[in-house]
Amino acid sequence: MTHEELEEAVPLYATGALDRAERQALEAHLLSGCQSCHNALKEYQSVASLLPFGLTPMQAPRALKAKIMGARNLDPLAIDSTVKEPLRPSLEPGEWLNHLFPPIVPARSFSLPWAIGFATLLIVGLGGYLAWTYSVELSEDASKIRQLEGSLLEQTTKVASLQREMNTRDRVLAEMQVDAQRKTNDAIELKGQLMEREVELETARAELSAALRGKIPQDELAGLLRRPDAKVVTLAGADVAKQASAVLLYNPITQKVWLYSAHLPECPRGTAYQLWAIDQTPVSVGTFHMDAGDTAHLLVKRLPDFEKAKKFAVSLEPAGGRPRPSGPIYLIGQAS
Amino acid sequence: MDTPTRRATSSIDPSLLTSIVKGDQQAFSQLYDHSSTLLYTLAFRILGNREEADELLQDVYLEVWRKVARYDIGRGTPIAWLITLTRSRAIDRLRARTTRGRQVTSPLDATVSSRVADLGPSPFETQADQELRMAVGTAMTSLPPAQQQAIELAYYEGLSHNEIAARLNQPLGTVKTRIKLGMSKLRESLRHCWEQGDLG
Repeated sequence: MTHEELEEAVPLYATGALDRAERQALEAHLLSGCQSCHNALKEYQSVASLLPFGLTPMQAPRALKAKIMGARNLDPLAIDSTVKEPLRPSLEPGEWLNHLFPPIVPARSFSLPWAIGFATLLIVGLGGYLAWTYSVELSEDASKIRQLEGSLLEQTTKVASLQREMNTRDRVLAEMQVDAQRKTNDAIELKGQLMEREVELETARAELSAALRGKIPQDELAGLLRRPDAKVVTLAGADVAKQASAVLLYNPITQKVWLYSAHLPECPRGTAYQLWAIDQTPVSVGTFHMDAGDTAHLLVKRLPDFEKAKKFAVSLEPAGGRPRPSGPIYLIGQAS
Repeated sequence: MDTPTRRATSSIDPSLLTSIVKGDQQAFSQLYDHSSTLLYTLAFRILGNREEADELLQDVYLEVWRKVARYDIGRGTPIAWLITLTRSRAIDRLRARTTRGRQVTSPLDATVSSRVADLGPSPFETQADQELRMAVGTAMTSLPPAQQQAIELAYYEGLSHNEIAARLNQPLGTVKTRIKLGMSKLRESLRHCWEQGDLG
């Protein structure tokens, strides 16, 4: 294309009426530094920018502003994802060529002479454009990197602070664990001591119980009554005390006799009842006293020769007893 | 946005964009108030329905919010930048829709509607914007209809001169000439607009 042809293409370029190849040819020419074409283009671009002012104004819906302001306030990444990018973006704000020139139009025809004639200029032009774009993006990237570095430093400081706090907490936790372990050991030791004390207490109880059993006649009497080999002799009241009666029990293990007498008369002063085991001759077993108001008495005495006795009797004797019966008989019973 | 004290769309203060770069939400809100009517009008003119114009405007403003740092005042006014961005994204949508086989607005009907655009005052614009609209509208209507139609088919429908020639069943050279002559006349008749600093 001649310069005249290129110059004539400028107003078509401003309205966006050129095909791709023609547009690229003119762009290459402009990038080559043709000032007259550049000035003409600037004026025709101004004319093109005025055209919308001639339209009858139509107000945008009132809700649209709020919608845009709201969408703009979203997270920048979210905004980027919500904005519908054109299928084939033809202009980036601020980019010199796209700003100055109209959108890219799909190639409807491609003339070989045009391509051959302007290929070199096109490559140079595109190279310059790409270099310019790259430098702009590089500058933006450097700014972003600085921001990210600042943010990273801040985050690193926060992480270090958190790490220190965590270390302190770990130390406190470890101390608490040691303390807890020590208390647990103390508790285990105390538990052992408590168990020992319980065993000792149980032993003491058993000993005490055994000791008490020997001193409590009732327990021994209860044991005697449960023995199948215990001997029993019944004593009846004699003529002087017909209402009186007695039971004599003999424990062959302990060799003790138990005389339970009831309804014997009160012993006169200076007298006592005396139990006799009678074989060939009476043998004294022991004495006991009945006071005023007494209705029963239990006499327990050791009698190894129980088996030899054929009869048992209770007589009233002077206090302290006698070697041989001397007073009246009050109770008498036959050994079985 | 329709308050009488608002700034004219054609003379948006570039410092607004500088504030937006710093995350100033109030500045972003003001930018919307100053520019949304014009951009919505442009989007609706290209796409032909309100639903898509709504979606497009949302996309455009979110893109502005995210990429406003790339704006360079040395390469044009804020509104020129916004118009270029809106038109570009709208044409992309129009082509995507055409690829999907959807109904396209009749170019002749669209052209006619532009030609009979109401030149009376609108409650949505400032005095300066109204004067600018009158100037552009007058300049456009003063063009021969064939030139106006060719320019509008290229600018608002994204058609190449070959496609316009096929659509209108006219020789390619004729279409090119119509666009060149039409744009040349507009440049002369509207030169005062950007020389006053409104655009350019």
